[in-house]
Amino acid sequence: MSNSDLSRRDVLTTGAAAAGALVVGFFMPQRADAQIIKPEGAAWAVEPATPEVNAWVVVAPDDTVTVRIAQTELGQGVWTSNAMIVAEELQCDWSKVKPQYASANRDAREMAPAWTLKAPGNGAQDPSGGGEPEFGSRDRTGVQGIPDSLYRRMRTNAAASVKDGRYYLQLAGAEARERLLLAAAKTWGVPVEEVSSKNSVITHAKTRRTTTYGKVASLAAQTPHPNPEKIRIKPPSEWTLMGTEQKNLDVPLKVTGKAVYGIDVHLPGMKWAAVKSCPVYGGKVKSYDFEKIRREPGVIKAIQFPIPEPKLIRGRIFGGGVAVLADSWYQAKSAIEKMPIEWDEPPENARRNTASIRAELMASLDKPGKVGVNIGDCDAAFKSGAKIVEATYSVPYLPRARMEPGNATVLVSDNRVDIWIGDQSPQETRRSCSEITGIPETNVYVHLCHLGGGYGRNGNGPQAEQAIYIANLNRGTPIHLLWTREEDFVNTTYRSMGVAKLRAALDRDGWPIAIEVKTATDAEAPGQNAGFDVAPRYFAPNYRFSMHSGRFHIPVGTRRGVGAPAQHFYRESFMDELAHAAGKDPYLYRRELVSRTNLPYKADIIKALDMAAEMSGWGRPLPQGTARAIAFEERGAEEGHHATLSAQVHTVSVSKQGQVRVLRVDVAHDEGFGLVNPLTVKKQLEGQITWFLNDAIYQEVNVKDGRMVENNFDTFPLSRINENPPEINIRFFKTGHWLDGMGHDRGTAIQSCIADAVFQITKKRYRDLPFRNHDLTWT
Amino acid sequence: MAMDLTVNGVRHSVDVAPDTPLLWVIRDTLQLTGTKFSCGIAQCGACTVHIDDRAVRSCSVPVSAAVGKKVTTIEGLSSDGTHPVQLAWIDLDVPQCGYCQSGMIMSVVALLKRTPNPTDAQIDAGVTNACRCSTYHRIRQAIHVAARRISAAGGKI
Repeated sequence: MSNSDLSRRDVLTTGAAAAGALVVGFFMPQRADAQIIKPEGAAWAVEPATPEVNAWVVVAPDDTVTVRIAQTELGQGVWTSNAMIVAEELQCDWSKVKPQYASANRDAREMAPAWTLKAPGNGAQDPSGGGEPEFGSRDRTGVQGIPDSLYRRMRTNAAASVKDGRYYLQLAGAEARERLLLAAAKTWGVPVEEVSSKNSVITHAKTRRTTTYGKVASLAAQTPHPNPEKIRIKPPSEWTLMGTEQKNLDVPLKVTGKAVYGIDVHLPGMKWAAVKSCPVYGGKVKSYDFEKIRREPGVIKAIQFPIPEPKLIRGRIFGGGVAVLADSWYQAKSAIEKMPIEWDEPPENARRNTASIRAELMASLDKPGKVGVNIGDCDAAFKSGAKIVEATYSVPYLPRARMEPGNATVLVSDNRVDIWIGDQSPQETRRSCSEITGIPETNVYVHLCHLGGGYGRNGNGPQAEQAIYIANLNRGTPIHLLWTREEDFVNTTYRSMGVAKLRAALDRDGWPIAIEVKTATDAEAPGQNAGFDVAPRYFAPNYRFSMHSGRFHIPVGTRRGVGAPAQHFYRESFMDELAHAAGKDPYLYRRELVSRTNLPYKADIIKALDMAAEMSGWGRPLPQGTARAIAFEERGAEEGHHATLSAQVHTVSVSKQGQVRVLRVDVAHDEGFGLVNPLTVKKQLEGQITWFLNDAIYQEVNVKDGRMVENNFDTFPLSRINENPPEINIRFFKTGHWLDGMGHDRGTAIQSCIADAVFQITKKRYRDLPFRNHDLTWT
Repeated sequence: MAMDLTVNGVRHSVDVAPDTPLLWVIRDTLQLTGTKFSCGIAQCGACTVHIDDRAVRSCSVPVSAAVGKKVTTIEGLSSDGTHPVQLAWIDLDVPQCGYCQSGMIMSVVALLKRTPNPTDAQIDAGVTNACRCSTYHRIRQAIHVAARRISAAGGKI
């Protein structure tokens, strides 16, 4: 069978392309084939010139190894780390490895090899095994679990790409290596046990013969593995490539402007769409007056679209809207801004504002919630406490605000859909293409592009769904839909606003005898249990956690870290407050409380706290106006699971004028059995520290008359290099488990650490993010 | 209206409305897609290009303002990706998603042209582009590396 997504539609260069642009040609006649090449920066699946060894590995005669990557590169380094996993086992020349996106179309037509279906070994604590995948259950759509289709879970989320993919990518590399060796042995007529390989060179030591992977790849493609269930994967003690710092393979493309993002796709005959969606979610177009813009330059037509089908976007309800098509996007955008549009807004949604939503969430805390954990008898303990500490915290609605505004390019023909998109969930997008057009998924081709930031954004709709709808009404014409920045803020799911009330009863020595945690978010918000729905990490003999909620019209979804960033802020701020109430050092207070638990890995938590404190010079005097604060982060805290741990100390100054500066960050981070690419992990940590600095200092989106208020980088500021911590120190320590991912909720500590440093310096305790709303001056 | 525009040393005649932002002429008309659109209001700097060696935010500059001047985009910075700033970016493995980096690099090159050995404070004041992945930690190191190499090589970039 053909595995080509672009066998007829490959990419050709033209005069314009020679100047640097990407032009994609269609149905080119055979004689043009010689001219057809793929632009350097485009990464989507293409049919290889040589047969593949398996679905992940293609070896060309010159030993170039193409590794198919099923997750999307959005800055987290998956293109490099997943390629490293395959290359480690393949034992190929790393300098000749080229990643390429796996074909989502082929994934619709083929099932995964049986040897990928189950992680080998004995779970997260077995160094020789495949670990414990985040998504263990089966789900054809790939949303709640993992499908059995060829590339398994193509979704890029939950920082699970390495955690879940490692074992079958190792197996894929090993399977390919063993078949290449079999092919060489067959060629030489020697037993396979006598041949070995390194750096793509196969050697038969006895006869001193050598060959290369490239020379035997075609034969290997026809040589099935006799017993793939026997393939063994290398434990970390045998790694030679994994565990080393490798630069990201796409960086040269990203410093020359050659990397192809969804926004960069140009097709012959393509028309551009600019969009306005109802600013109140759940609303739609009442009327629009196309006549007013009909004669604007380049304008072709206006197309009204309904509220995107919620079942295609996880039940989330956005607005209906209207698109204007034009020859260029700037023409479309200029015209739609002049077009009168009247909206039909649900009145109950249009009445909401930030204060009313917050009030509803606060009120929900006093009603019965869903009890997650209830240990001991909190009510009795609160009656006997020597001191009661109570605090109420809140976080605002937050979008991801990735730099690349939402876009998708779609061509619908009679029985085929092509979509070019940077997408965190191509299997879901494939389904959307099929559901909207009626064309089967096996005829849908998702050409994956790099993403200009993700942070959970793509896969939550509805840029693909809007573009598919419009293109389906214009079959035969490629439509490139692109949102303005403002429209990107409308057409996004948000992290829910959240409030939390934490109470503790302390004994006479200041140690908690009871802790009660109540949190409230939108009822649909993911991650409501994060951090609290387990026995307390900071020991209290009586503990109760309940989740409360309200129902609002703002669509909520998975933003970087999901529920953890808010809940870490609540928990760690409260621990600081308790330590201060007890008159104890916040580091030693945490350390003592962790040591009182019976958590199986509490020694690792204590190690993280000790290491971060020691790195930071904890306790050493600081100048006036500067303070240190510590916090603990835990990803994947579930009963019976070893979470991924880190502790951070932030050294923060606050000027008398109220200017906050994070001067230095010391991070002690769990590396489990081993990191695949420590360089990528460091970059993820560095970036997330400032990501959450942004959250802490600046970011909020308010609701007024049902609309999201802040919608561009003037009112929703992003911190710049002048605010970045000048010193970031990262140290790793080994623990006895396979890690959860790194792209998420690392660096959340900065939120509570700034809050506590502000408290230490100004004596003012702020519990509502962001800090830009507060008076941080002091004398 | 046809206008003559010189981009990366190549003269083009472009037929667009004179108030069209330079960004869209670069991206759509000339199909040089390395320069990115993000905010459209000159806030983020993803669209930064040079007009006569000065960094400008091309989303907010009308194309007419570039007529008769020399426009340089990321594609014109070097023919083979070996400008010292590009090489420093590779060596420090700066980019994550990479979307802002074309504009970031153009801003940094403009800074180094007027301030060959910038202090941290000069970097803070001179590089005001936004990076949502927050790669600033490596950007700062890479600027210093590039500056050292440029001055070691005689100071011309």
